[in-house]
Parts: sequence; structure tokens; C-alpha cells
Amino acid sequence: MATPPNPTDGNPPTPATQPTQPTNQDQQDSKVEAPSQTSPTSVFVNSEPMREEQVQNAVKFLSHPKVRGSPVIYRRSFLEKKGLTKEEIDEAFKRVPDPPPSATNVNQDAEVKPSSSSQPQAVVQTLQPAAAAPPGTISSMRSRFHWSHAVFAIGLLAVSGAGTAVLIKKSIVPRLKTWIRKVVLEEEDDIVKKIDSKPSLAEEAAAAAKAAAAAAADVAKASQEMLNSKNEERRRFEEFTNLLDVQVREMKSMTNAIRKLEGQSNTQGRASFVDQEDHGIAISNSKIMAMIQRGERPPNIRDINDQPPNPNQQPSNPRLAPRAKPWELSQAHNSSQPLQSQVSSEGLTSKVQDNGVTYQLNGDSSVPWWQQKNVKITEIENGDELKAGIYGQRFSEPPVQPPVQRSWVPPQPPPVAMPEAAEAIRRPKPAVQREQLVDDQSVTNPSDVTDELLRVTKISESGGAMEVNGGSLVLNSSVEINGGSSVLNSSEIQEDHSYEQSVHST
Amino acid sequence: MPVFKTPFNGYSVKFSPFYESRLAVSTAQNFGILGNGRVHILDLPPTPSSPFVELASFDTADGVYDVAWSESHDSLLVAAVADGSLKIYDLSLPPTSNPIRSLQEHSREVQSVDYNPVRRDSFLSSSWDDSIKLWTLDRPTSIRSFQEHAYCVYAAVWNPRHADVFASASGDCTLRVWDVREPGSTMVVAAHEFEILSCDWNKYDDCVIATASVDKSVRVWDIRTYRTPLAVLNGHGYAVRKVKFSPHNRSFLVSCSYDMTVCAWDYMVEDARIGQYGHHTEFAVGLDMSVLVEGLIASTGWDELVYVWQYGTDPRAP
Repeated sequence: MATPPNPTDGNPPTPATQPTQPTNQDQQDSKVEAPSQTSPTSVFVNSEPMREEQVQNAVKFLSHPKVRGSPVIYRRSFLEKKGLTKEEIDEAFKRVPDPPPSATNVNQDAEVKPSSSSQPQAVVQTLQPAAAAPPGTISSMRSRFHWSHAVFAIGLLAVSGAGTAVLIKKSIVPRLKTWIRKVVLEEEDDIVKKIDSKPSLAEEAAAAAKAAAAAAADVAKASQEMLNSKNEERRRFEEFTNLLDVQVREMKSMTNAIRKLEGQSNTQGRASFVDQEDHGIAISNSKIMAMIQRGERPPNIRDINDQPPNPNQQPSNPRLAPRAKPWELSQAHNSSQPLQSQVSSEGLTSKVQDNGVTYQLNGDSSVPWWQQKNVKITEIENGDELKAGIYGQRFSEPPVQPPVQRSWVPPQPPPVAMPEAAEAIRRPKPAVQREQLVDDQSVTNPSDVTDELLRVTKISESGGAMEVNGGSLVLNSSVEINGGSSVLNSSEIQEDHSYEQSVHST
Repeated sequence: MPVFKTPFNGYSVKFSPFYESRLAVSTAQNFGILGNGRVHILDLPPTPSSPFVELASFDTADGVYDVAWSESHDSLLVAAVADGSLKIYDLSLPPTSNPIRSLQEHSREVQSVDYNPVRRDSFLSSSWDDSIKLWTLDRPTSIRSFQEHAYCVYAAVWNPRHADVFASASGDCTLRVWDVREPGSTMVVAAHEFEILSCDWNKYDDCVIATASVDKSVRVWDIRTYRTPLAVLNGHGYAVRKVKFSPHNRSFLVSCSYDMTVCAWDYMVEDARIGQYGHHTEFAVGLDMSVLVEGLIASTGWDELVYVWQYGTDPRAP
């Protein structure tokens, strides 16, 4: 929705597409009111140009990392609350780059790296053996390409494993051997030295004892360390189990709460809304709220089956025709045009109004008490000044109040309240208008009675002078046919005459 | 002035567009939090000191948050029920045949229902599931579903002059103007800093709309210059629950609030509040002005009372 849509495009015909309307009326698809547009658009559309500054602010907002993580609907709602139009919001969303799937990319990179690092090592050693492996298969048919690829990879891996094993054998084992040899040599040297020096038994024993003591000390230290670590482990283990217990308890309480919530899901939701509306005063429903929060169901609720007994029950026919609204009446009075806004309603028939109730009024007043306008104000809470002037007669043509009828019967043709309307109907300018009229009548009027009434009024008003409209004038058609045929005869005769005349003249 | 005591807490009151003395009241048990609901059809008594006449009442399993009269059939009305369904009642049929329809599509409570006064064949329902649905009487399923709000839609109101245009007020603090011929909303007005609980079109200036919000104010907007409001009406002490333009006067509107009062305003004058009625003893949540009788106002609230009075009179006068 980049541009404000023009509702006049491709719409079903509406009754108010009159070219000869006064400009002070805003009907559907009305004229321009917005300041910046020159083409006719509906006034119910925002027609301001986009404000660049707002869009940039919105882009900054949307680029914030925290905002990125929030659902889109909340971002839109925030911008709308700030007063941005739809177009500005859409533009901002367009400008903010789509958040790259950075998480997935990083993972993929990490996976690729270790595999690629192991590759070069193996490649160096296994080039030769691997080269021989599946070159033949690679150059084979295309359908086998993937398989040979897999085979190549497996072969490469195996060979690389073998190569590393060989490497280990070659490099590490000799090192080991040399080290062992060194140790042995050292020992031999030590032994030789000892033989040479010929220490006394006591010194030997003392040395041995020292060594033993040192070894024992070492062993003790080691065992002590092991004990310590074991203790630590045990402690850590206990802590861990404690934490687990705590979590289990919390989960249990949460499940309980959830069960409670499921039991009264609706009520809790509604109760929270009540809180959110920020009343600010102690409401007398606190008792009810307390009951619900404790999980109890207020006792006065009954089980009621409010489903329709017959879901296909037809609504009964309306007994009354819809009444015109006071703002429609005043508009009609203001304008000299035919009753446009009442075309879709039963404008012509609105004069027949039914109060529906016969009231045994007091003999004093002929008007029901609720219609009386009190000139004097007896008690008003604030003692504000009289503002009865507001209710001065707004329209000089008060609504017609015919004598109260019990039920609505198709009347004689109603008095022509608006001679201009009758004129217009009698002589419609575009034939389209009347067809629209009829179409709208059939669409918007559920009752056939009003349709028929319209036809009846047309017939009666026109007195047969109207053009035939789709065969609805059964009354006059026979008359017209006869008349038409006679007319035709005479015209034929005339035409013959004229033809002859023209022939003669040439 | 007559008073009617409902057994449950009142939620909405609407005058009939066919009969001057008739009105419908929707109520919910236990303040609408949890419980049954009931719709009452009342007739004004012949004298103001007599009680109302109750013509019919219908019980529902869950609370009824709103009710709307049909503009095409004088005996039909639609009820918005807290279990997400819409019930259609026919007064010409015996009570055992009612309701004649139950339309269950919303997944959460239906907060409001409004009947098209121009085409007279369709109605809108707005719900806490963030959507608005368009229905006709003859179809068992909705024609369209408008899903753009980010939070509960508290009201959806048809434009009184343009058959396809309506406005919606939502808890996401925006007012949206829609055209049923368009795929989405045509205008988004950031009307308040807090939730918008109600909106209503001016019947005489088809581009003027009033919004009522939790921020205790009523703002009047011209949607052609929707950046700043035409008027900001302050005077309520708490959130304003409902606002209604007069069907007979272009600058007169009434509003009801959680401060338990009903206020009358003239938004074109400097000192806009021209009346205040403190007859309720609990939240005043339902309000309507009669289309057929000039100056007649009806209100209901959680104090289980329904009042009908003429503007300028005292609703509690005997």
C-alpha cells in the first residue's frame, strides 16, 4: 500500500456518484479535502507526503539490536503510536536491512574450519596414494559424480589416519626409545657411581629411609589431595543436587499454578485486563476478584444453554420501514438536490412512520413525557447554565408525525414531499442512475414489499408517461403496446410519404 | 424519571431506531468477570414516575458486553457475548425460539457490536482478540475479518453518512479508519498515549470523530487534520468509558466514565463541559442518545441501574 488508494477505481456503483452535487456535501468518493492532493480522493485516507525525518528515526529504531529481537507487530504498533503513517512505516521496514541469518552462518563457519584444517595435513601425505585412488572414477559419468566424491573423501580420511599412525610410529617411538635409553644409562651411571663411592651401610640405610620418607610424604600428599578433591567433588555434587531440588520444587509449583489457570483461564485473563485499565480506585468487585484468585467459582453462576434452538430459523419480516435519520433529513432539507442519501434507504416511504405503540396518554399532553423539552432546569448536578439553545430547532422541517398506526400497510402513493425528487425520478438523466437505484434497492432491501412500493409509486406518479423500465410496469404496458402500434402505423405512413417526397425531390 | 434495576451489572444500553420508547440493556453477572449475562428489552413507562415495562429478557451463558438493534428489522437485535459469540434475537418470535443465531468466530470476548445505519444490512463486531469482523444477517459466517490492531479492539463504529467507512478504537492507543472496500485500514491516528476505550462519529460533520481514553480525556478529531485534535475535553476524574455524539446537534456529545458521572459537552465552545450527571454509584459504562427523540439520554452502570432522562433534567427526579 504505497500510495493512498483511490476508492473510485473499480468499485461497484454506489448511489452517490452524482456529478451535479453541491460541493459542501461529502458523499462517498467525495471531492478533495486534503491539503496536498489535487486529484479527487476519499477524505478517509491519509494523503500527506512521507516525512523523511520520521522515516529515518524509525530506521534507527528498527536497527537497534534489542528491537530486532521483538515481534514485528510490536514494532509496527510502537511506530504507529508515535504517529507515523502506514507508508512511512513500510518505507522504514524496507530501508532496514533484513537481519542476516548471522547465527547460522557462524555455526557453518565453525564447522567448516576444523574440517578444512585437518584436510591440508592429510593432503600433503596422502596426495600420492590418494591420487591414484579415484581419478578414474571422477572422470566417469556424471551420475556417478557424487558417489565418487564420497569415495574419494572416505579414502582420503582413511589414508590420513594411516599416515598419522605411521608418523607417530616413526617420530614418537624413536623418541621414546631414546628417552628410555637415556634413563637406563643414567641409572647405570648412578649405580656405578654408588659402587665406586662405597657408602657405608648406615648412610645407605639413612638415604633409603629418607627416600622412603619422602616417598611416603609424597604419597601422603597425593592421597591428601585426592581426599580433598573427593570432598570438593562431593560438595559440588551436593550443591548440584540442592539446586536440582530447588528447580524441581519450582517446577512443581508452576505446574500447580498452570493447572489453576487452566481451571479458570478466562477469569484470570479478564481480571488482569481490569487491572491494566488502571482504575485507580478501590472497586467493589474486589470480593469477586479475591474469590477467583483463590480458585473458587462464585456460587451464583448457573449453567445456561444459550444456543439457538433452530440455527436456521428465519428472522421474522420487519413490520416497519426503517426511519430516516435526523441528520439525513436535515441534509435533504439543506440541499435542493434529490435525496441522495436516502436513495439507498426507503426515502420515499419514510414518511410512513409507526410509533408501534399506542399510548394511553394523559388527557393533558398529547406528546409523551419523554419528548417534552423542559425549558426550566430544576436540578442539575453542577448547576450549569441553561443550554437549551442548543436544542433550538435545528431543522425547520420537523419530522413528520402521522397518526399512529398499528401496523404498516402498503399505502396509497405517499404525498410527494420533494417535488424535485419526483421530477428527478421521472426524468432521470443517465439511465445508469436508475439502474443503480434499482440494483441498490434489490441489494440493500431485504424485503420485497419496498421494491414493489417503489414500482407502485413510480407508476402512480408518472401516470404512464415514463419510459418502460424492464417490464416492471405491467399496468401500462398493454396500453402502450396498443398505442405504440398505432403510432407505428402512422409513422410508417409518414415515412412512406417522406420517402416519396424525397424521391420526388431528387 | 424512570429507573430500572437489573439483576446483573449493566454494560450497555441502546435505543431502538424504530420505536421511540424502546431500549435494550445488556448486563453481565459479577461485574462481567465471570458469570452469566442477560439482555433486557424495556419500554418507557407512560408517566415518568412509573417503572419501566420489561418486554422481554434473554439469558446467556456468559456476560453480554454490548447490544445493537438492527436497522432493517424492527424486532432483531445482536448481542456481543463475553465467550466470543454473537447472538441474534428476534422479539417477534416466542422466547423459546430465541436466539435465532449464534455466531462463534472470535477467540476472545466481543466488546462491541454496531449496526450499519446507511446500508442497514451489515454489522461489525470488535473483540479482545485484536480483530474486527463484518457480518450480515443472512450469512452464518463473517464476511471479512480486519486484523491490524496490536491489542484489544474496544469499539468499532460505522460512519453515519458513508456506507463503507468505519472507525475502530483499540487498546494499542490508535484509532483506525477503515473502508470495507480496501484490504486494510486507510488511516491510523495516534490519538492518545493510553488505551482508547470508545469512539463515535459526528453525525453532521462526517470527518469529525471523538475518542475517549483511559487518560481521562475525550478528544475530538478531524481526520483530515489528524495530527492535532480539534478539542481536548477534560473534566472526567477517571478513564472515560464511552462517548456518543448527539444525533440532533453537530457539536453536542455525551460521555460516561469510571468516575461514575455522565458529562455533556459542546466541543465548539471555550468552556466545553455543559452538563454533569452524578446519578450512578458505580462505574458508568453504558450510554446512548436516542435517534428518534431529541435530547433523550440513557445510561447504565455497574450499580445495576438504568436511567433515561431528557438533557437538562435530573435523572433521579421522581
